[in-house]
Amino acid sequence: MNPVVAHVGTGAGALLLACILTGVWTGGASSRLEQAQAAPPKDKQVAVASAADEGYCTKDLKQILRRVLTSCGLVKKDQGRGCQPLEAKSVAAMSGGDFNALFHPLAQRASIIMFEKDKAELDESDLALLQKTFSDQRGASYFLVVSRASPEGSVEHNRALSEARATAVLDYLKAQFPDPDLEQEVGLLWLGEEFAQLDEEFCKWNHSQAGPAVAPDGAAPAEAPGCTTAELNRSAFLAWIDCRL
Amino acid sequence: MSSTWKPRIPLLLVGLFAVLGAVFAGTSAADYIAHLDRQMHAVTCSYFPGLGSPDASGTSGCFTVMMSPYAAVLRASTWGGLPIALPALAVFLFLLFKALDTLLRKREDDRHETFFLVLACLLPVVTSVIYWIVSVAVIGTVCKLCVGVYVASFGAFGAAIAAHLRAGRARRPRGVLEALITAPVLPAPAQAGYQGGPTALGGPSSPPSDPGVAAAIASLPPPPDEEAPPAAGLFPLPWGRYLAYFLEGVLFVGLCALLYLAFKPGYTEEMARCGKLLRPQDTYQTRLKLHPVPGGVRALEVLDPLCPACKGFHERLEASGLLGRLDLEAALFPLDKECNWMVTTSVHPGACAVSEALLCAGERAPEVLAWSFENHESIRERAKEDPASARASVVKAFPALAGCVGKPAVAARLNKALRWAVANSLPVLTPQLYVQDQKLCDEDTDLGLEFTLTRLLAARAQSGGKS
Repeated sequence: MNPVVAHVGTGAGALLLACILTGVWTGGASSRLEQAQAAPPKDKQVAVASAADEGYCTKDLKQILRRVLTSCGLVKKDQGRGCQPLEAKSVAAMSGGDFNALFHPLAQRASIIMFEKDKAELDESDLALLQKTFSDQRGASYFLVVSRASPEGSVEHNRALSEARATAVLDYLKAQFPDPDLEQEVGLLWLGEEFAQLDEEFCKWNHSQAGPAVAPDGAAPAEAPGCTTAELNRSAFLAWIDCRL
Repeated sequence: MSSTWKPRIPLLLVGLFAVLGAVFAGTSAADYIAHLDRQMHAVTCSYFPGLGSPDASGTSGCFTVMMSPYAAVLRASTWGGLPIALPALAVFLFLLFKALDTLLRKREDDRHETFFLVLACLLPVVTSVIYWIVSVAVIGTVCKLCVGVYVASFGAFGAAIAAHLRAGRARRPRGVLEALITAPVLPAPAQAGYQGGPTALGGPSSPPSDPGVAAAIASLPPPPDEEAPPAAGLFPLPWGRYLAYFLEGVLFVGLCALLYLAFKPGYTEEMARCGKLLRPQDTYQTRLKLHPVPGGVRALEVLDPLCPACKGFHERLEASGLLGRLDLEAALFPLDKECNWMVTTSVHPGACAVSEALLCAGERAPEVLAWSFENHESIRERAKEDPASARASVVKAFPALAGCVGKPAVAARLNKALRWAVANSLPVLTPQLYVQDQKLCDEDTDLGLEFTLTRLLAARAQSGGKS
């Protein structure tokens, strides 16, 4: 073979191969990029960080929550805090039993702080349970505090007592968790003795002791703390609500 | 085998190894260039390209090496840079050309031709050694395609040496002088001294120490090839011819590079628009100071401490040379369902516990992060079986954090970090980089990092740092 032809031929062949490969690869990437840019935006979407929205957040529950929260001054910042029994009744527009049933899916998430009779002070076991429950926010957006009173005493007294119990919880949270978002996260409902009293079924839920676990002198109490309906309703029901409204 | 072909075997082997190298380098270049469309693709990672399933998970050594800052050059000048595999392909095709050319012109006995081939084959060998050291010592993994290139480089070099030795034997009687004459390791002036007089290059004359050797060399018959040196074996070298060959090699590499730069996907301003932080304030003090630079451009890296992509991104950022201009903080976004409700399965098991440790560590956070990046695989593997193992591992490595990790207070802080991601509607993925609240597009966090970050920093500088 002519040496010049051999040299030029092999050189041009190898060079051509390198150029063709480079051109094909880069051209392919360019055309794919153009196609991707022309594709509708929905094809490019990825999951976006958002608050939790659990399966129990049905349309009905969200509607009730929205009404309750709006009426109780939680969603709109400048409104007064807390929802009184009459307001709760009207916004919930349902029976007390149905109202309580809304919270049944929260059995693993909620806690019940049980107060002593005619008292609104939190003891150590109450504080421990409150701190534990509040720390477990996860993706929840709202922390509901629903306080009640047992039927002993006047309606007005029990209304004030349940409000004091709800306020005690909020005060502790404000002191313990200095959080600018707290005002927008914690919703208070005080129901007195008038609406949605808890039944004994809720004794199975996570709750603090109704009375002191130990006597003031350090000895074991004469009678183990119980969980009667009356004791159960001297309480504040706490739960993070994993719903987006 | 016929006597016609036997002398050609070394050159055929050079060609064969060049083809092998071109296949490996070409496969690697094709995989790299495919990613210039700013999308993710499976990459080939096999000792037999084309066989075996490609790596779509991004866990192979080939993917790690491809995404490393050492896979390309000119990264700050053009999006993705110039992949080193492309010039490698050009070099192997050049070697193939040289081997075939020598064979077709029947110059296998021309020691100048074979010597140039040895020199040309030395380039991929030196490059292979450097890249092997970088792979093992810096990147920490070796890719199979790269190993193919290393083998091809050494194979071609060995075959070229064999071809050169054979060419020497074909021209001279066998003897003890052969090694001296055929070894092209001495500088030209010193070799020229064998002729017993001043060299054409004007170098100093240095006669052989043994007069017998000089006499033997002088008595050698002249080569039949008119282009070959008349008496002293290899020298003087045909510099003009070598320069022409060298320019041919430059043409191979240069033309490939130019074509690549001319036809590669362009980068438009629209591509850089990927949003900004809605609420950048760190209200709950949940950020980590990763790389404080007083006066540096404020930057925020959203990361998961057990995420391999975050490790790779952090390493690319460090290797880019741009880290020194960033006052870098980190926002934690562990993709672990133990604490993150946004994922239904733990993408990186154990990341919540390690994130708590990072929050607990305070100023030592970069140290904890380096440890977690170093051990991310083993921590994740153990946490898959036992979620509590990650906490135990981090406490074992950093005993001072034992009183903090796992406590409600730090869990609440981590929750706040996640809620910050919610407040800013961040995509559920890591890593992410925000420069003065402006997001660096996810597609720009790997191959295009240096290019886009350089542009972003320049734009920030022009605007006086206003976002």
